[in-house]
Amino acid sequence: MTHRPASDARPDAHSGEGRPAPASAGIFDQGLLDRCISCGFCLPVCPTYKLTGQETSSPRGRITLMRALEAGRLADGDPTLAEEASFCLGCRACETVCPAGVRYGELLEQWRDHQWRGRRRPLLARLLMAVVSRPGLLGLQRLVRRYATGRGGPRRGAVPAGAAAGSGTARSGAAPARDGAARPASLMLGCVERGLYPEVSRAVLRLRPGLAVPGGQGCCGALHAHNGDSATGRELALKLGERLDGVIVTTAGGCAAHLAHHLGRERVAELSEYLERTGYRPAGEVRVGGRRARVALQDSCHLRNALGVTRPPRELIAAVADFVELPNAGDCCGAAGTYSLLRPADSRAVLAPKLEAIEAAGVDYVVALNPGCLRQLRQGLRRAGSKVRAIHLAELLAMAEKGSTAR
Amino acid sequence: MKMRGDLARDLAGIVGERHVRVDDGALAAHARDATPLFEAAPQAVVYPGSTAEVAEILRYATANRVPVVPRGGGSNLCAAAVPLHGGIVMVLTRLNEILEISREELLARVQPGVTTAALAAAAAEQGLLYAPDPGSHTVSTIGGNIATCAGGLRGLKYGVTRNYVLGLEAVLPTGEIIRTGGRLWKDVAGYDLTRLLTGSEGTLAVITEATVALLPKPKESGTGVAYFASLADASRAVTAVIAAGIVPATLEFLDHKCIAAVEEFARLGLRLDAGALLLFGDDGEADAVAANLDRIKAICTDIGALEVTLAENVARADALLAARRCSLPALSRLGPLTVLEDVTVPRHRLAEMVDRIDEIADRYELRIATFGHAGDGNLHPTCVLDPHDHAAIERCHKAFAEIFSAAIALDGTITGEHGVGAAKLPYLEERLGADQVALLGRIKRAFDPAGILNPGKLGS
Repeated sequence: MTHRPASDARPDAHSGEGRPAPASAGIFDQGLLDRCISCGFCLPVCPTYKLTGQETSSPRGRITLMRALEAGRLADGDPTLAEEASFCLGCRACETVCPAGVRYGELLEQWRDHQWRGRRRPLLARLLMAVVSRPGLLGLQRLVRRYATGRGGPRRGAVPAGAAAGSGTARSGAAPARDGAARPASLMLGCVERGLYPEVSRAVLRLRPGLAVPGGQGCCGALHAHNGDSATGRELALKLGERLDGVIVTTAGGCAAHLAHHLGRERVAELSEYLERTGYRPAGEVRVGGRRARVALQDSCHLRNALGVTRPPRELIAAVADFVELPNAGDCCGAAGTYSLLRPADSRAVLAPKLEAIEAAGVDYVVALNPGCLRQLRQGLRRAGSKVRAIHLAELLAMAEKGSTAR
Repeated sequence: MKMRGDLARDLAGIVGERHVRVDDGALAAHARDATPLFEAAPQAVVYPGSTAEVAEILRYATANRVPVVPRGGGSNLCAAAVPLHGGIVMVLTRLNEILEISREELLARVQPGVTTAALAAAAAEQGLLYAPDPGSHTVSTIGGNIATCAGGLRGLKYGVTRNYVLGLEAVLPTGEIIRTGGRLWKDVAGYDLTRLLTGSEGTLAVITEATVALLPKPKESGTGVAYFASLADASRAVTAVIAAGIVPATLEFLDHKCIAAVEEFARLGLRLDAGALLLFGDDGEADAVAANLDRIKAICTDIGALEVTLAENVARADALLAARRCSLPALSRLGPLTVLEDVTVPRHRLAEMVDRIDEIADRYELRIATFGHAGDGNLHPTCVLDPHDHAAIERCHKAFAEIFSAAIALDGTITGEHGVGAAKLPYLEERLGADQVALLGRIKRAFDPAGILNPGKLGS
């Protein structure tokens, strides 16, 4: 307690005393911590605050916790610190409404670096990080996927050539695409997507055949940065930046934000941005049951909240189908990287209102801009017995080009 | 004083284990509100789910002499929600139901944890207006608004929270549940306890339900912006507008430091070379709104405005108002410690007060930006500081003590809408005089003989 009781306060003391400089622990960048003025504008948009209604699970409350940790007012092993560092989705919705410009995403990375250091990191996160940091192991994911989805046998052309095991075949030597843009561009395959949804990258290459697809792509490091190892996260981003020429085109909003942070905004383009920038004209139409399909969008949190990209995907969808805006399109779906694996119950609770809104909207498809969201929506819709299908934007556009009537 | 373990057990017996927190993290998170420089941790945080639970907690607290500090959205700006003497922080956000909105009676009945914005939105759906709109409306609660008699951007034409509270259900610190006022605009049965509790800052009773007045929603609204070379010019324009018989719904001002900070956040294309910005707006019938805005525009031009423009559409008007609302947090971009005050003077003395503030800021070598509600004479001088510069923080305290005295000397007050809390308690006697402060103490003791409710604040 640093406050002088008001009864003792003298008229020359306007509002208490200046807090003595804390013996700071060096966990956080003090300047970033100082930015929060505790106004609470972030509370109404925070998905975990909506779940619990408790200050500790709000961005403002978490920053107060971080400050207490930094100043040594909370013990290092404090269970509330551990719980809240893990409970936060990291969706960064709070940043969009913060007039003080708090960079919460960076604070969360610093917090998890400390909280999840070494063996304190959840085992599952450690395993995933180990797998994706070794390009040679990425092939394993495909194996896992086959069994996870119960399909068994190999899929032809599951991943665009040259990408599977860092062997640098076929396309890897191709000159980077120009596609009408001033600068060359390379398609990033994504460590998760390449394993789970290789059809997304294939769809992108149908839309933009000229994109270079170098082999030997590793993980962009977002996974590490969000799971308590921001140093490796940065290292991997820089490495990928060297490996891929020109503008890095990604189909994952989360990767786009991470790469933009480390490589500079101009080096990175999420697919919808890239298509718009290079003058892509959507062709055809997606039809369902003899009519134009009704299609909703799930924003990617980091694409929306960190990079502010919301318009291009909507316009692309509207060009090939009837676009339906969900009332909560900008709210996190609960996938949040490893979150859906580490905290499945909370992840489903965050997803629930989204599924309701999708059903209520009466749509045929819901489009995702990130593989994690895609997986989350597919699983959620399946569990709910919904007829709505979740697909990636690239797939929707490719489907339109093919003139597919889909169902 | 009860030990933490006892408190946890006893409170869990009342509200259930899920709704009590005694972990160090939760206590740290409830050690402050939105006021800088004030921190004190409670021993427990409790989230009651009914009036009966609130009553039981208060009876328990009085019996055991445990302080209780009621809390809503925690957006208070005078440290009224900081548990200076420890004890229990009682968070009322679980009580968040809108119980009734009546178009026939033009009123709403709400629980205290409903946010101001949620009530306003629900009223708007029925074609009604809940007029008070404090800047923090998305996070502040109706209970907190009433406890602090929150103001807002529409004060001049529509008044403040106290003008809309018709009745309250409240729990006394000794556990009795009282209902004051009701669904009536006319009711003089007894002392006006509704008004007494409004603005009592959680020191007399805990509000558990409120009946508030609504208005028919104005059909049209319009907003404009005028830029002036100086705040004094803007202030003269405000006086001239009101002298012309116009009572606009909005008359807000920003000084040039605020304009720059808000522009950096909101990117509205505000003019950065002006000394002051006046945001004006009105609502009502379309013809009347258009006529009033034109007259205001003409008056501003006569006074010598650098530029006057009317917002071309609702989106632009909303953006301007939203930008004004975020002045304070936007200012924190200049320096992370912002000490904000809300002295208020008679409207025609606004320019004089601003001059005094600027003079005091210069003398203490401080950066003080000022924005506020020009129509109400309500200023928000905001000192922007480095939180680690203790000498500057000390100078800031001294500067604000002088600013308070200056406001009082101009027939003003030390706080227009944020409240006294802990931050301004030392200056209350200068404003009220010893006799009145002593009376506050006697009122406090009548409500709260054990002195458990928000001790160290009003009436203590």
